Amino acid sequence: MIEFQQVYKSYGRGIDTLADVTFGIAQGEFVFVSGPSGAGKSTLLKLIAGLDVPNRGTVLVNGKNVGKLPGRFRPYLRRAIGTILQDVHLLSDRSAFENVMLPLTVTGHSRAAAAKRAHAAIERVGLSGKDGLRPQELSGGDQQRLAIARAIVNRPGLLVADEPTANLDRESARRIVEVFRDFNRVGVTTILATHDESLITDYATRVLLVKEGKVTDGGKRTPRLGGEVEA
Amino acid sequence: MSPLIRQHRYALGVTLRRLLSQPFSSIANILVITLALAIPLLGATALMSLRPVANHLTADPEMTVFMQVSATPAETGAVADRIRRDHASEIRGLRVISRDRALAELKANPAYAQALAVLPDNPLPDAIVVTLEGEDLAQRSAKLAALWKTWTKVDMVQVDSAWVQRLEAILRFARASLLFLALVVAVAVLAAVFNTVRMQAMTQREEIAVARLVGATESFVRRPFLYQGALTGAVSALIAIGAAALALTPLNDALLGLARSYGAEFALHLPGLPVLAAAVIAAGVLGALSARWSVTRSTRF
Repeated sequence: MIEFQQVYKSYGRGIDTLADVTFGIAQGEFVFVSGPSGAGKSTLLKLIAGLDVPNRGTVLVNGKNVGKLPGRFRPYLRRAIGTILQDVHLLSDRSAFENVMLPLTVTGHSRAAAAKRAHAAIERVGLSGKDGLRPQELSGGDQQRLAIARAIVNRPGLLVADEPTANLDRESARRIVEVFRDFNRVGVTTILATHDESLITDYATRVLLVKEGKVTDGGKRTPRLGGEVEA
Repeated sequence: MSPLIRQHRYALGVTLRRLLSQPFSSIANILVITLALAIPLLGATALMSLRPVANHLTADPEMTVFMQVSATPAETGAVADRIRRDHASEIRGLRVISRDRALAELKANPAYAQALAVLPDNPLPDAIVVTLEGEDLAQRSAKLAALWKTWTKVDMVQVDSAWVQRLEAILRFARASLLFLALVVAVAVLAAVFNTVRMQAMTQREEIAVARLVGATESFVRRPFLYQGALTGAVSALIAIGAAALALTPLNDALLGLARSYGAEFALHLPGLPVLAAAVIAAGVLGALSARWSVTRSTRF
């Protein structure tokens, strides 16, 4: 599903944020991307999400070469990926429901069909009854849930989340990871970036360690809280 | 309903919401553009109203051949006959006004009667008034005047349409000035819309970022701004037309008084509906183009 082949990415300061990165992620995997702050985790996820392009090498997502995909086609790639960034990017002047509706509006769904799917997504992440609230009226954990609802409302086959638990207390963080695990259990490939070791220990079935622009594949592992290792 | 139509409807909704969310800013912006558009519109109105008047005046160009005071009626008649014979195809009419008749007509005017009474002799010459026929009158009348002036006993030839030519020259100058003014206004509209959209795009950065994150195309992101530019331009043009129509009432009242003092009827009228519709569309397109330029520059991904 995702293939990185000798990928380099720099932001013009002469330092490679990512250097010679090669790995693959198969359909249905639940992968944690770990590493210290500034190691290149966010860059890695942006390349996967089609929000950026590599300077060298090949990034294949759903069979599409992200670097060679013309700019006008990249939005269509992004629609097949549910992306949650560290800053949740929720629109403060709109209700939770309207925030979740946005991806469906972008794809031109009818209002009735979009509303049905938005309500289902909100219910799926456990925010029923909070549809009418503005993001700033929600707790940090609920804001993350809302961002997840917006990411999954287009029914993507791939979820990419950058530090989705960074600003949450331990219990809220676990609940959020469990939401992701629920989606993974129904076949959605899920990639989470975090530097929270306890979450990795408890939930990760595979870890990619990013350090100084290099990616080390930690391989398959059995999580402490009963995750299943892909064959 | 197709997804594309739904997206356009959404963009229009977003545009109206943005405009209404900052009513004073939106109204001020529209008023500035309205004022800028109203000036060339009134200029065009004046020019288009004057054109038929000028055309009508040039339709009857007259030349007056003044004979020397010493010329006899026979010599005047000979010149008149020669004009009829040599330039038959170029003239529509000719009449001779004898010096005695001219003096009598002048004396009939009480304003001159007293002054003329003290003159020992009739100072007026015989005159031949020629009405020209055909096209290219300005150039031909100049040529004929130069030729006739060389004839025996002819003192001078006056081209009565000279002032009309001057009027035409003024109108040509006014048209060129109006074109320049229209260009300046177009640049002003571009700048006003560009700046408004740039400010709007700045405040909508978060929304644009989120839309792109969830897979919005650049067309989707730009569309509300394009609608905003087009709406601002078109609405401003409509208000400018309304304002110009209102301004014409007092202007025409004043103008009519002036025209009547010359024994004429004249009023300013707005250009026809097709021209006004084209102006509204042009302002809308200009606004949309400016908005597109601005949003592309302000929201680079």
